Amino acid sequence: MAFDFPVLMVLIPAFPLAGAIVTAMFGKWLKHEAHWPVVVSIVCSAVLSLMLLSHVVHESENSEMAVGWETTIELWNWSGVPDALAAPERAIGLTETGVAIAPPARLPFSVDVTLRADALTAIMLAVVTFVASLVAIYAVGYMHGDRGYWRFFSYIGLFVFSMTMLVSVSNFVLLYVFWEAVGLCSYLLVGFWYEKPAAIAAGKKAFLVNRVGDFGFALGLFLIWITYGTLNYHDSGGIAGVLGQARLSQTAAFATGGTATAICLLLLLGACGKSAQFPLHVWLPDAMEGPTPVSALIHAATMVTAGVYMITRCTPLYMASVDAQYAVAIVGAITCGLGGVIALTQTDLKRVLAYSTISQLGYMFLGLGAATFASITAGMFHLLTHAFFKALLFLSAGSVMHAMGGIIDMRRFSGLRRIMPITHWTFLFGGLALAGVIPFAGFWSKDAILGAVNAKGQEVSLYIPLYWVGMITAFLTAIYTFRGFFLTFYGPTRVPHEAGEHAHESVRWMTIPLMILAFFALTSGAYFEWTGQLHHWLGMTPSLAYSAVPRPDVHGGEGDLIVKTISTAFALAGVGIAAYLYLGDNSAAALLARIFYPLYWLSYGKFFFDQIYNVLFVWPMWLLAQLSSVIDNYLIDGIVNLVGKVPPWVASRLRSLQAGMVQFYALAMVWGVVVLIITLLVWPALARSME
Amino acid sequence: MDEQALLQNYLIVGALLFGIGLVGFFSRRNMIVMFLCAEMSLQGVSLSLVGWSRYHNDWGGQMLVIFILTVAACEAAIALAVVLTLFHRSGKLDIAVWQQLREDNQAAFVDRDLVELERRQQVRWPTLTPAGIEPEPDLDQDTHRTHI
Repeated sequence: MAFDFPVLMVLIPAFPLAGAIVTAMFGKWLKHEAHWPVVVSIVCSAVLSLMLLSHVVHESENSEMAVGWETTIELWNWSGVPDALAAPERAIGLTETGVAIAPPARLPFSVDVTLRADALTAIMLAVVTFVASLVAIYAVGYMHGDRGYWRFFSYIGLFVFSMTMLVSVSNFVLLYVFWEAVGLCSYLLVGFWYEKPAAIAAGKKAFLVNRVGDFGFALGLFLIWITYGTLNYHDSGGIAGVLGQARLSQTAAFATGGTATAICLLLLLGACGKSAQFPLHVWLPDAMEGPTPVSALIHAATMVTAGVYMITRCTPLYMASVDAQYAVAIVGAITCGLGGVIALTQTDLKRVLAYSTISQLGYMFLGLGAATFASITAGMFHLLTHAFFKALLFLSAGSVMHAMGGIIDMRRFSGLRRIMPITHWTFLFGGLALAGVIPFAGFWSKDAILGAVNAKGQEVSLYIPLYWVGMITAFLTAIYTFRGFFLTFYGPTRVPHEAGEHAHESVRWMTIPLMILAFFALTSGAYFEWTGQLHHWLGMTPSLAYSAVPRPDVHGGEGDLIVKTISTAFALAGVGIAAYLYLGDNSAAALLARIFYPLYWLSYGKFFFDQIYNVLFVWPMWLLAQLSSVIDNYLIDGIVNLVGKVPPWVASRLRSLQAGMVQFYALAMVWGVVVLIITLLVWPALARSME
Repeated sequence: MDEQALLQNYLIVGALLFGIGLVGFFSRRNMIVMFLCAEMSLQGVSLSLVGWSRYHNDWGGQMLVIFILTVAACEAAIALAVVLTLFHRSGKLDIAVWQQLREDNQAAFVDRDLVELERRQQVRWPTLTPAGIEPEPDLDQDTHRTHI
């Protein structure tokens, strides 16, 4: 191999880590220049990721492997327990040349710290580092003058490191480790302004809700371990990995039935937590308390897509369980519709975008749940375009927030297009992409998902209603996106007093990344749709090259055209309705809200998930905690304190002896001598005479 | 006089000295008197040592007494210096003045009799007609005079 993969694969995560460490150590002295280490290292990572992608594609096309193409580099072995598990039924042993044989009687538990490169990893790396570099550059302007400037960049570096590791590792345990690491970074960055009670509460909520998902994820890993006898993706040490070449090239090498469904549902629970899917979506809107670049990077473009990545990576496992596919699709469709409905009535621009993110992630899950090659790649396609246009929308919203002095409530400002022309245009591009208006990126990727789900619906009728949920959500998406757009940028120019007299367009550090992202929001969808590169590349990933992934030909068919026509009509209708309702006075919208009051009430209250969870989980837990606190404070502490009170009581009795009178001390001494004489001389003498 | 009777006499005198010293130490509050009492008990012990020494015909005891005398002399020097310092501090030789070593929440010892004594002194007794020159009152003596 002429090209040195290991160096690239190590350098891509190493750069951001180094940047984070340097910033953490020297940030206090770097002060306003603290962004340089992190920005430079992330940009370096992005360049290396693009190089890696091109080389991976090149190698994949010339692959001689059985299933797709992958390369791994083992850095070190983290833990090794020999003979940890009696070989389960599904374990496969390998000869030196990789031929499947019976496994050894007992299998070792080992966590190989191994990085991998294949098409899926390379694409994720490219997306993550590319968006991260733009967001980091944007943050230079956005976070300027903040007290925690260097802290912010240090966290961002740490996050990019964790995220690149998450998509690079080739072991489920390490996936879990970095899954938690990105969660930690998310927690730190949501609670970045730690003096603000809402930010602390939001960070805590994100962390706790994610624990529910991670609990399922961990159980899923245990089940994988006892089912397959390994936790590596790849083949190593004479044992076939869960997603390795040896297993993928066999048919029927995967567990079926209840075991497969259980594994997949537990992994889905983990993915639901991280990717904010129903019913664990409640943390994401609150996470908007963090700085806006964080919302763009972590809570829109990268971290929340970890669940999508994980399910895509585990596609072969899902292929073994039709029920799990249905579950993924149904969760996706519910989340998709729910997010869309809630986003319609929110007044906080960032909240609208947060619910829109939840909804769009629902689309991706819907695509993954349809479980055909076309739908899974469409889900990944949507992940990619969504990363661009949602980051763009968030950063534009951040630009508005920055100019408005931290106010993001759409009732407080309007008509900003005259004050902020660049932000207006970039938001428009992002909005058109999100609404799915041709030829913007979102149109192609969303229609790819809907088309694939529709095609699947021809075989399995369950998917037809899900398809319509997606379609109607596309309509809602257009309405809420342009509702936000019109309320913010059109109408009479109003500026909240917090913005001061000098509300102005943001600095160039912020507008240039916006323009770059706007370019990609316009072109990335059409480019990948016409060239078909993304599908081609993803098809070379071992997990997706697996022969059990169904590949019906849906591309360019008549059904596809119908889907595209309907969705375009819906998107344009949505934009039109939003324009009718929210351009000019909002009396029509207010009338609608009054007519459909129950629906409006539900949507405005976010379907009262927070309240329901409060009653069902938070309050019982709180009561239990109170009970424990009472027992601890009164019963356990009471006993301990009682024991502690004995010596002071005895001492208080004896204390009166210490009167400070010299004569008394002398007397006490004499009494002591008398007692000594009695015990040593008189008492033995008496005892002797008694005998 | 036989040896036993001699020893008995020594021991009786020693015990008496010790007992008187002890009682004096307990009952008197003048620091110098207390010190003298302590010395007296010490000498009582020394005397019994001498008695036993002679009885057993062992000169070690008498040698020990020489040591005790020496040590007592040193101790007297130090003790009197301490007493003098304390006297300078408070202007009184009363040991009851120095009761700070007691526990914080213990009530201080208050000398009620002292108050009555002072009041009694203010009673004017009939005096003879002064004859000759009235002596100058010694102020120094008044301030340093103790009532003990």
